[in-house]
Amino acid sequence: MNKGDLPFLSISELSYYIYKKDVSPVEVVEAHLDRIDKLDSKLHAFITVCREDALKAARKAEEDISRGIYKGPIHGIPLGAKDQWWAKGVLTTCGSTILNNFVPNEDATVIDKLKEAGGILLGKTNMTEFAMGYTQHYPYGTPRNPWNLDHMPGGSSAGSGSAPAAFLCPAALGEDTAGSIRGPASYCGIVGLRPSVGRVSRYGLIGSSYSMDVIGPLARTVKDTALVLEAIAGHDPKDKYTWKAPVPTYSSMLDGNINGQRIGIITDMMDAPSLEPEVRAAVRTAATVLEEIGAKVSEVSFPFISNAGSIASPIYMVEGAANQWDNLTKRPDEYERNMRLTYFTSALIPAQTYYKAQRLRELFRVGFLKLFEKYDAILYPTQPTPAMKIIETGGFGTKDSVLADLRGRRAFGNAANLVGSPSLSVPCGFSKSMLPIGMQLIGKPMEEETILKIGHAYEKATEWHTMRPNL
Amino acid sequence: MTDLSPKDVIAMGKAVGLEIKEPDLSEVTEVLNAIIEAVDEINPPGLENVEPLPIILPPVGKEE
Repeated sequence: MNKGDLPFLSISELSYYIYKKDVSPVEVVEAHLDRIDKLDSKLHAFITVCREDALKAARKAEEDISRGIYKGPIHGIPLGAKDQWWAKGVLTTCGSTILNNFVPNEDATVIDKLKEAGGILLGKTNMTEFAMGYTQHYPYGTPRNPWNLDHMPGGSSAGSGSAPAAFLCPAALGEDTAGSIRGPASYCGIVGLRPSVGRVSRYGLIGSSYSMDVIGPLARTVKDTALVLEAIAGHDPKDKYTWKAPVPTYSSMLDGNINGQRIGIITDMMDAPSLEPEVRAAVRTAATVLEEIGAKVSEVSFPFISNAGSIASPIYMVEGAANQWDNLTKRPDEYERNMRLTYFTSALIPAQTYYKAQRLRELFRVGFLKLFEKYDAILYPTQPTPAMKIIETGGFGTKDSVLADLRGRRAFGNAANLVGSPSLSVPCGFSKSMLPIGMQLIGKPMEEETILKIGHAYEKATEWHTMRPNL
Repeated sequence: MTDLSPKDVIAMGKAVGLEIKEPDLSEVTEVLNAIIEAVDEINPPGLENVEPLPIILPPVGKEE
């Protein structure tokens, strides 16, 4: 096989060739490094590329596999990881100059688990500063969307969206507080899974919001997403919020059969004024495809969902500012301006606003979970628009424009994180300007397999995942 | 609820050890007023009887 073709293979395909010893992990890593060398100067998907360590790990994987020690489908596969958690001996910036010298001496549990499964850390991916807000000036280069370099890849897991989409790595890990995995997946035309709260350890994560942060995979296919989830999920004694529930072999459950699966499409989101018509049309068409392949799709109304952005924002903002308190009080000028504005605001949100939002969250959670008495999964667009243009002016505008954002765009990304549910973004079309569109499937807490099965069946019936950006 | 003024925001900042000056002050005031109003206007019946549950903890002593 031509080495230059290797980055265009999925994890499933690469692992097949690696297992058969037709391809060496060294060749796989080198091919991806070549592609990073060629393209990342314009995409800025990576903050740090772990060139030497990745090659060393690839040589070890090659040696182990040649001796018959094969650890499974991730063995020898290079992966990206958002620069938001520890990787031993690797610069970990969280997208901020404040941490421009931070080199952890321990791996986060997700990195540890990836290495345990034989995965190879290819590099740390770019992100908005401390995984919050709308960064304008990125200290490590402005991340760009592979489908159109004038557009953003989404955030906060910006590079973890653009790197797999640009075939710089087969998959990457991201972190999702309020849509930070699903948004980049939707904008970049790939699959992104926000797992249930408690499914994946957060030990070693530089937290944004303790009650909403979740680490999860972004990849070009649902099966690859499932394979990475299998590697990183599970109870961790170092993270008291992880559950002891067994981790299913998700990838073996993707049989394409979704006969009788009940999917509720939320009319309040499909009729939202902030939803662009071509996104609405793409998700409607996707719902029709799901019906054609056996699902029972019906409309459901949950009007309270329009408050999701207004309820979630003060919660993760207060929690985010609390995490940053030392830096915020001692060195506020070192934050990028948009981030400083966000943290200043977050620091002043009144306790009664925060407490009321927590009460509203519980009402939201209980109401949303009732939907699962009638449905196996909930469907609506991941984002109301395709990827926006890269921000050219700083700041957040007026009170009215912020309110419009809270009541509009932010409602889309904030339901699953209020509920603790898993949520999967799957590509379901393109805009006229050739920017990807994603649909969001939300499942019951700790039932990732249901939405992965539905997403996989849809993917098999469509060709969106086969399209490549012209770079 | 009456909107907070920039002067109020300066005082609130001072109370928690933050010095907020222009040009940040105006924007922080706008965003803060938006966040407060966004939550203030959501008033479903029975809210006062709801106990918050920020995160669902794993069941203790169970394997599943």
